[in-house]
Amino acid sequence: MKYQSIIVEDLQVAAEFLKRFCEKSGVIDVAHHFFNAEDALLFLKDNVIDLIFLDVEMPGATGFELLDQLVYTPQVILTTSKTEYAYDAFQYNVTDYLKKPFTYQRFLEAIQKVSKKTEQLNGNSEQDHMFIKTDGKLIRLHNDDILFIESMGDYVKFITPAKKYITHNTIKNLETKVNPQVFMKVHRSYIVNFTKINDIQENVLFINGNMIPISKTHKSGVMQKINIL
Amino acid sequence: MYNEDHKIAFNFSPELDVAFLLELYGEDLQQAELVFESTVQQLRAELQLAENRFHDGDTAGLKKVIHKMKPLFGYIGLNETMQEFASFEAVCAQAATMAEAEGGFHHIRSISLEAIKITENEIKRLKQYNSQYL
Repeated sequence: MKYQSIIVEDLQVAAEFLKRFCEKSGVIDVAHHFFNAEDALLFLKDNVIDLIFLDVEMPGATGFELLDQLVYTPQVILTTSKTEYAYDAFQYNVTDYLKKPFTYQRFLEAIQKVSKKTEQLNGNSEQDHMFIKTDGKLIRLHNDDILFIESMGDYVKFITPAKKYITHNTIKNLETKVNPQVFMKVHRSYIVNFTKINDIQENVLFINGNMIPISKTHKSGVMQKINIL
Repeated sequence: MYNEDHKIAFNFSPELDVAFLLELYGEDLQQAELVFESTVQQLRAELQLAENRFHDGDTAGLKKVIHKMKPLFGYIGLNETMQEFASFEAVCAQAATMAEAEGGFHHIRSISLEAIKITENEIKRLKQYNSQYL
């Protein structure tokens, strides 16, 4: 498998180095190199890629600000010259964290992680259910039973037609774990089962009488996903 | 014409982190030459920008330029210089006025110029070595 990637990096030398490594690996295609997060975001609104090599500190928006605005979640390898971002990297569930300058060997290790994660995600995408821990036990929820998932700070609420389940988790974490063929993030606080959407009006959608906001950044992703005749 | 018998061996200069450069470039000294050239160009441009930020009294702007320059030294095997830049970046982040960063800036400027000199010398050596293959 060849991964389609982009490089978001304001340092020309670092980007050239990375391009060369990608070429040498034979498994990464670099679709584009962007010098700032804003240009990358414009590209990502209309294009789907597998992997982002992402610098953190750049002129304008930071790499993390770019991730906040993404409609979907490709894998991310942070490329930075600071180690201080390790905690944020963990929070954003990035695949790996490369400190510049890095060697080809280290680059290959990162690509192996990408490959492993892809296998995991593909495995997840075939799943029709998930287990959540609530009230001290693990409960199986079928995707088809879940209407939407709502953030409650460090907790999330799974809404089904019959019941609400609260569990310790975050939307950001769940985003990468739920089946992308069924669920999508529509707002920083909401993941919805898009087969359950009843109607959409401007920047809100309705599921079983529940009104759910659609953020500006997620609107185009929602519209792409639904079948408009 | 290239002749294996008369091939000159290449060793990176001892003032550079030779072990790291070997790990970074392996035997690809054409790549090393390109990166060294590109790095020295960018160092010159960024140093000029740093001077502008310094004279404008813009500590936040100076910090950004220092952050951008920092990893460049890694690509040319000047890891100690990179560390000094990391320290100065922290100074800039704390500095309320440029006066607090002034001493550090002059030092950073001086080691940058020295780094450029070393790199230019290394580019000449790399060019000489790589021209054997032309």
